[in-house]
Amino acid sequence: MPILSTLLCFFCLWWPISVSADEFGVVVKSAEMKLQGDSYVLAAEFDYQLSMRAKEALENGIPLYWVVQVKVLQHRDMLWNKTLVEGSIRYKIQYHALLNMYRIKNEYTSEVTNFSTLAAALDSMSKVRNFSVIDKAALASDQHYFAAVQVKLDRDSLPLPLRPTAYVSPQWFLSSAWYVWSLTN
Amino acid sequence: MVFIQRLVCMVPDKLKPPIGVSIFILFALILLSLQLMSSATQESSELSAMYSWLLLVNALGSVVLLGLVGANIYSLARHTKRREAGSRLTARMVSLFVVLALAPAAIVFYFSMQFLHQGIDSWFNVEIDRAMEDALELSQASLDQRMRWHLRQAEQLAEKLRNSSETLATLELENLRELAEASEMTLFSRQGRIIASSSIDPGDILPSLPDEHTWLQLRQNGDYVALAPVRDDELMIRVIVSVKTKDPQYLQVLYPVPVRIADLADSVEFAFVRYQEMNFLRNSLKLSFSLALSLVLLMSLLAAIWVAFISIRNIIAPVKELVKGTQAVASGHYDQIVPVLAQDDLGFLVESFNDMTQRIARAHDETRLAGLEVENQRAYLETILANLTAGVISFDANYKIRTANQAAYRIFHIHVNHFIGRSLLELVTDYSELAEPLKSIQRLLEQADDIWQQRIAFLGSNGRQELLCRGTPLFSQEGSRVGAVVVFDDVTDLIQAQKNAAWGEVARRLAHEIKNPLTPIQLSAERLQHKLADKLEAGDAEMLQRSTRTIVQQVEAMKEMVDDFSEYAKPSKKQTVSIDLSALVQEVLALYMARPGVKFKTAYEAGRLMIKGDPVSLRQVLHNLVKNALEAIDVQGVIEIGVHRVQKNNADFIEITFYDDGPGIKEEQMEKIFEPYVTTKAKGTGLGLAIVKKIIEEHGGAIWVDASRRLPEMADVSQSSGSRCDKVGAGFIIQLPACNFEQL
Repeated sequence: MPILSTLLCFFCLWWPISVSADEFGVVVKSAEMKLQGDSYVLAAEFDYQLSMRAKEALENGIPLYWVVQVKVLQHRDMLWNKTLVEGSIRYKIQYHALLNMYRIKNEYTSEVTNFSTLAAALDSMSKVRNFSVIDKAALASDQHYFAAVQVKLDRDSLPLPLRPTAYVSPQWFLSSAWYVWSLTN
Repeated sequence: MVFIQRLVCMVPDKLKPPIGVSIFILFALILLSLQLMSSATQESSELSAMYSWLLLVNALGSVVLLGLVGANIYSLARHTKRREAGSRLTARMVSLFVVLALAPAAIVFYFSMQFLHQGIDSWFNVEIDRAMEDALELSQASLDQRMRWHLRQAEQLAEKLRNSSETLATLELENLRELAEASEMTLFSRQGRIIASSSIDPGDILPSLPDEHTWLQLRQNGDYVALAPVRDDELMIRVIVSVKTKDPQYLQVLYPVPVRIADLADSVEFAFVRYQEMNFLRNSLKLSFSLALSLVLLMSLLAAIWVAFISIRNIIAPVKELVKGTQAVASGHYDQIVPVLAQDDLGFLVESFNDMTQRIARAHDETRLAGLEVENQRAYLETILANLTAGVISFDANYKIRTANQAAYRIFHIHVNHFIGRSLLELVTDYSELAEPLKSIQRLLEQADDIWQQRIAFLGSNGRQELLCRGTPLFSQEGSRVGAVVVFDDVTDLIQAQKNAAWGEVARRLAHEIKNPLTPIQLSAERLQHKLADKLEAGDAEMLQRSTRTIVQQVEAMKEMVDDFSEYAKPSKKQTVSIDLSALVQEVLALYMARPGVKFKTAYEAGRLMIKGDPVSLRQVLHNLVKNALEAIDVQGVIEIGVHRVQKNNADFIEITFYDDGPGIKEEQMEKIFEPYVTTKAKGTGLGLAIVKKIIEEHGGAIWVDASRRLPEMADVSQSSGSRCDKVGAGFIIQLPACNFEQL
């Protein structure tokens, strides 16, 4: 079966790369909800560590899309948690060869920033401040609420040929886990 | 539509249309999904967002198809292992199909992969690589040159501003900006405070501020120049130089990049990035194309194999049915009708098979009926044979018994049936008393080449028996001897009856012919004596009287003898009544008990031993036998008499046994002892036993000499010594049909 052997070969090629390095991915360092006026705003800090493969892709002009997702959940005793609100900030990071710069675009605010180093660019993405999530009025005082935040690499926005690899190779498993904390009203 | 029609036509019964339709739908879905995936591979396509889903769906489809094919292969393997009808043919056809489908597919796949890889690789080469990098470098160099020029220009401007106060500077800035054809010019204090600013756009109040990174570089180097997109992605050259005043200041000048150069740089960058991206994605591209190609091929192959399974199964179905039908016919079930699944060559074959089985069934039925008929005939013949009074024994070519009927048993008292396959001589060892007739028959069988007839007399368990045997050797059509048939009849009674009839006739004639002249003879003699006695002299008269007396006495004796004869000849007048035989025997014996020197030993079976008969005749039988015995023992002796019930040929008989210890019966007399005028005694007519036998036979019974009591050596001794030998004894056995109680 030529097809099977081909597939098998591809998997064999990826596998060693995938298991070697594991010092990459996004980690949510801290996250909290602050009451600002009538609404809760998110303040969070992340740590971006790109894998070799991701860096390589970035340097070759492939844009990476990151989504900071935030959710507020209401705890329910008998049923599953109810999602009250969901919000997201989408960043695009791309390398510009002509200018030798990393450009970050916040698609939520349409703000574009250029950085001469990747570290500076990633650093600029690592802080979220004053992102309004939910109105205070939406939360009842007698209920228990959770907030959850996650940074996700949007693999579906990768160029198509890269996608099959991105779904199976740990080099592309860069999204952070959900960071959940209790929301005190 | 043609495809679906063909699919539905192909599977008329076994695979119902819904399944055919569902196969078609499945195929359509597979094709659609593959087509979508193929379209999605184009980057520009809107479907690209669905690429992963399509990939998943197709992979799942492949797995499902793989499962279907796997299940089919498993079931086929099981059927083949169990050697089910048609399974091996299916296996062969499927493997042939798979090989035929796989070989070209593999070739196409291999070359497609080759072309794909080579095609993608051909997009990239060192020259283009170099050219791209050179183009980018050229753009960068061109921009660098412009930046350096602008830096010098800015430094000159800063020089001009060196001696100006802050207020003056504000005024001068506008002029300088216009002079330098800059789009924006800003003067910052060392702390980053805006001292003065001038922009080409009057509405633009807030100048573009340098970021921290720029400040850092500025403080390190003293100046700063960079190409940066400022607002709306417009490419600008940002130059910051220090103004060497007392209080150091910084002058930021934003020079627009000429539109043409900006466009060209953009274009070069776009192309470079695109090329870089493609180069980077080269392997991924190959992989994703290969994946798509492999999936398409895999699904097509699997689907083709699956449909092959279904269609081959349908093609094989009639063959399978035929094989089953053939097996059924082979095991004797001729009522098999194989369903006709299609009107094609196989259908025709099936119809012909059905025709054939029906014909075979008919032929088989006819054969069975004929066999039944033959069997009935045989049974009928056997019944006739069994009920024949004549015994029939057939022999094979080696004179071994093949069949024997019931009458053979009745005559020989041997279950000849039990000796099938053995020769007559083998019976001799078991039944020595039949040695004589069996040997005779065997000899005749072996010698005779034609029909033979022989009368064979022997001493059976019921006394002397006479057989009339007729034998026929059997020949095959070719003339070789295949066996023989012997028919024999017990003619003892017949011959006896003939003898009796002859003797009766003789007696009657004798009585008539002799008795009639006796009276005139007697009367004439008496008259002679009466008339002549007085006329003769004393001596003559006495002689006359003596002679006359002799004549009268002899005539009397002759009369008596003739009476005896007529008595024997005439049928006894029987008055049939029920008689208790033991009582009758006791009654008769009572008359002889007083005889001195004779001892009677009697043994009666308990119960009433009833027969039907004429008491007078039976008394005469007993008297005759007792007298016979008494005469035999002469002066002193023992007479043993027994009466008991016996069973013979499923009938009850009362048996009277009579034994004396007299001289016995000589062998040569044994056969004729019951005939008239046979006697061993000095006096007597010799009619006693003849009458006894006649009466017994008239009562449906039998009498014979018990040969077992006869000791041959003793008989020989008696013969050699002359007249008699004591204590040999004679025995008679009488059997009379018993009268059952219900007949009373």
